[in-house]
Amino acid sequence: MFRLSELEEDALKEFFNMGLGMAADSLSQMVRNEVLLTLPKLKVVPYEEAARMLVENQEEKLVAVRQNFRGELAGTALLIFPGTESLELVRTLLNEDIPLEVVTELEQETLLDVGNVILNAFLESFTQMMHVEFEFESAEFLKGSSRFLLDITSHLAAQRQSLMEGADEDEERAFVLMMDFKTSDEEDAQHTLSGFVVLLFSHQAMLILKRELEVILSGL
Amino acid sequence: MDKRKALIVDDSSLARMMVRKFFSESFKDWDLLEAKDGDDALALVEGQTLHLALIDFNMPGMNGIDLSEKLLEKHPDLSIHLVTANIQERMQLRAESIGIGFIKKPINQEKIVAAMQGLKG
Repeated sequence: MFRLSELEEDALKEFFNMGLGMAADSLSQMVRNEVLLTLPKLKVVPYEEAARMLVENQEEKLVAVRQNFRGELAGTALLIFPGTESLELVRTLLNEDIPLEVVTELEQETLLDVGNVILNAFLESFTQMMHVEFEFESAEFLKGSSRFLLDITSHLAAQRQSLMEGADEDEERAFVLMMDFKTSDEEDAQHTLSGFVVLLFSHQAMLILKRELEVILSGL
Repeated sequence: MDKRKALIVDDSSLARMMVRKFFSESFKDWDLLEAKDGDDALALVEGQTLHLALIDFNMPGMNGIDLSEKLLEKHPDLSIHLVTANIQERMQLRAESIGIGFIKKPINQEKIVAAMQGLKG
């Protein structure tokens, strides 16, 4: 069964930490406010458990921008907001005075742009430390209830068919990185945003990551 | 002549190992003290004379800015640099406001050399 050593997990957390730092910088420039970051939580779990973790403690309505990446390193990155938060983000980015129906109309387009910037900044940070190459697919916008989010699992299942060729089904695992972020202006609820980033990697990608981690750590 | 002393405070083992490697390879005239959080650091430096401190921001317990302020109370001449992945402008301004340097992760030898420049003595 696939396992990371304590040191390898620590190193991955640090890489993710740097990735989210880059992403938060991009987001903070867009919302013109500081983005507060929590300490990263890293879990290695099966896909199905990852899907359960996504919906745990979340409101019914969720919005996600999903970015699949292919190549030597293959997987899925998700930027997730509770539904109400996503509208607030759009309102903050565009114009706080615009009517709700207009915000709703622009939600998908705006969040795709935001998600694209954030997830790209996040993923590209990997290349600072590791010699891995990957390509981004187009970002996708997803919106719906927790039940719908579970349907993402079946979508992932379809995707991983191509990623998992030759891999033992029992060894499927996903890295789930959950880092909360929120803007600092908590006293003014209209300006408070929060969300989190989740990464799902194929088994094959995890082996590549482990190999890269071993190379990096052996040099220290 | 006594070696100069540097302090690295980071909850990431990887980050500490990287700094340790740079010091062991290129800064042999330095002693490096390592701590994984603020409390650990404050206990470690008690009674020590420090010259340089490299401090992460986002750690369990107190953050890097709070730790820096505590260190400066007892070591006013200490050259402190916040070493963080949180590269937002406000974080840099916060470091600047208490008179400490700012280094973007990942750290490398050149950034450490730059931090060492201008040290007293």
